[in-house]
Amino acid sequence: MAAALGSIAEIERELGAQRVDPESGQPMQRTSVMTHLAWVPEQWVEAAEDVLSGLAERHPSRTIVLVPDPDAEDALEASVEVDCYPVGEHRKVSMETIRLKLCGKRVQAPASVVEPLLLPDLPVFLRWRGLPPFGEQPFEQLVDTVDRLIVDSTEWPGLPAPYGRLADIFDRVAVSDIAWARTSRWRAQLASLWPGIAGVRRIKVLGTEAQAHLLAGWLRSRLGRKIELEHEAADRLTGVELDGEPTPFPPGDPPDPADLLSDELERFTRDRVYEDAVSATRM
Amino acid sequence: MAVAEQQENPLLEGLRLRRTPDPCALVIFGASGDLTKRKLFPALYSLALRHLLPERFGIIGVARTEESDDDFREAMKAAVQEFGRDAFQQETWDWLAERTRYVATDFADEGGQQRLVGALNELDEKQGTSGNRVYYLAVPPSAIATLIHEIGEHRSTDGWTRLIVEKPFGRDLASAQELNAELQQSFEEREVFRIDHYLGKETVQNLLALRFANGIFEPIWNRQFVDHVQITVAESIGIEGRAAFYEQAGAIRDIFQNHLLQLVALTAMEPPIDFTAESVRNEKVKVLRAMHTPGPKHVVRGQYGQGFIEGEEVPGYRDEPGVARDSMTETFVAAKLFVDNWRWADTPFYVRAGKRLARRETTIAIEFKRAPHPPFEESAEGELQPNVLVVHIQPDEGVSLEFAAKVPGQGLTLRTVHMDFLYGGAFRTGIPEAYERLILDCLLGDTTLFTRSDEVEEQWSLVDAIVAFWKRDRPAFPNYEAGTWGPAAADELMRRDGRSWRRH
Repeated sequence: MAAALGSIAEIERELGAQRVDPESGQPMQRTSVMTHLAWVPEQWVEAAEDVLSGLAERHPSRTIVLVPDPDAEDALEASVEVDCYPVGEHRKVSMETIRLKLCGKRVQAPASVVEPLLLPDLPVFLRWRGLPPFGEQPFEQLVDTVDRLIVDSTEWPGLPAPYGRLADIFDRVAVSDIAWARTSRWRAQLASLWPGIAGVRRIKVLGTEAQAHLLAGWLRSRLGRKIELEHEAADRLTGVELDGEPTPFPPGDPPDPADLLSDELERFTRDRVYEDAVSATRM
Repeated sequence: MAVAEQQENPLLEGLRLRRTPDPCALVIFGASGDLTKRKLFPALYSLALRHLLPERFGIIGVARTEESDDDFREAMKAAVQEFGRDAFQQETWDWLAERTRYVATDFADEGGQQRLVGALNELDEKQGTSGNRVYYLAVPPSAIATLIHEIGEHRSTDGWTRLIVEKPFGRDLASAQELNAELQQSFEEREVFRIDHYLGKETVQNLLALRFANGIFEPIWNRQFVDHVQITVAESIGIEGRAAFYEQAGAIRDIFQNHLLQLVALTAMEPPIDFTAESVRNEKVKVLRAMHTPGPKHVVRGQYGQGFIEGEEVPGYRDEPGVARDSMTETFVAAKLFVDNWRWADTPFYVRAGKRLARRETTIAIEFKRAPHPPFEESAEGELQPNVLVVHIQPDEGVSLEFAAKVPGQGLTLRTVHMDFLYGGAFRTGIPEAYERLILDCLLGDTTLFTRSDEVEEQWSLVDAIVAFWKRDRPAFPNYEAGTWGPAAADELMRRDGRSWRRH
């Protein structure tokens, strides 16, 4: 196995070398529509790699996976991978993944590592696995570096309190929440119940805690009044009751995690409806 | 509750909902034909797979051949498996098959229409298709007028009716006007969908995005900066057993009148005020109205002889089954066209289309004027090429720009390099087939990507002018070998103007 790369210059040199097509000796065409950062603490690595592998073909990007290891000795350990995909009848395009282990004090200054590797003029998305350490250096630095933060509040303990900290950053960065995206089929279903749903007083959600809070927050913010929430835990959204009446199951299949993240990577503007729902989770 | 009923639904805000077509029945005339097998059913299957068809939906295949519903379903299942772009899923097919019927009938027969009406009424009852009808006329041109008349006579009074008419729409201006007049007796223009599947191609639509969503191109998209435009629609295949049709149509009616002129119109049109059907089509018609070809010397026709395609020997056109040994049908056409308006006056549009050419390729190349005074003493590697913006429609959909760059090393030697954007490289989602997009647009009632009556008549006006030139001479056919880029006269057409076709 090749030795880890220890500097930005080494990473760039290796990317250049891997971009050459071994068959023709010519540089492969690089196609990118964004830089995709992923902050992946060690316990999330496996899950993150699964999603990334489903994503690479759909969103050609430079993906930078940041794995923090604050207890290790101060260092930067990187590896790069250039993947090649066929396009059309005669061409291939390449996409890049840079895996960066931030060791020791490097964890505190991720922006300085990432900045020189961002693709110029393209949007930067940051997928943060787990509960972000709101107010702490790594998170705050990266939030100011990127155009869109993608979280999955299903991964967060202690809901709904963290939604309050999340709402504090809405004016700094556009936010997507995979947990919110998972409720979209149900939101469309509930919207179809208008105007009957206008007077609802209580919602019961069989699903994750995040989905329950977000659906209740959404109804409160859209209808402009207090609505009680009852939550029954389940690992996915399997039912919604309004004032004790079950609502019909929405049509279609639930999307897989790579599809959900993929959809969020196509959004570039603030999602005001989501922001309002988050703000109303604690009403 | 009464108050809520009057309010807009606040829960819809922010939801990315797809428009779903109304319940309807789709009747395909020419159901035993190639188009139905290769394009229409695979497209319907892909739409069903993506849940883009309405739940209350039905298909009736109509043809003269006697066969049962089950035989027809089996044939269409095989077609979807062979020609579909998606992996076959039994569940999706079952959904579609359950809604599919077949009616063997000939409209020339007394009572032929009644059998279809009966089947449609049955669909309305069983599938809830509400009297809404789409009639897809995938039939030879000779059958279209009768069908239009019969459908008009028996149109449903309950729901809406739409008609999809395959190309070619007529065979000259007079016949196109007759067809339009027949249509207008029973249908409004918004109910008629004249299909040109090129307009359903993502990259053709991307031409509009390239031109009108980017500030850098429009300021130089005119006679001041553009030297000329080259449009090529090249096929390497022959007539694929369609001799009966092709002998009547030739390249000018098969490709030039529709696909090629649509590409010219989209390249030359002014920015529409919005992307509604009328705005886009108004601008295209203006281009077609302003178009002329300067004379017989500027139109070239050709017919392929025996040659080689990808190393394999292929017969000449006159040796194809069903083709007359002395056929004078053209399989190649090239022309120099002008668009007489402020933007394009005196800027030639060189267009060519043909069969059995060296490779399959559809491109639009905008060749810009050369730099007025390059200040480099040392010459370029060969003569420095002008900047060319190439829109690749197929294959390898994308856009590339050719410009000069310095060759590394001492001195200042220049070479032309390419900067490429590959459509499929940046957007990795599967590109829908043109027929998927167009069928769905018709079900939704959106005519933007279909040809309007005046548009088609302007196209025929130009074709009629060219065909009139051709009546005066009898070229020595065949005049190009299969596997080449057409007759020498096509190169001469450019050479006379000090230009040449792009190198491929």
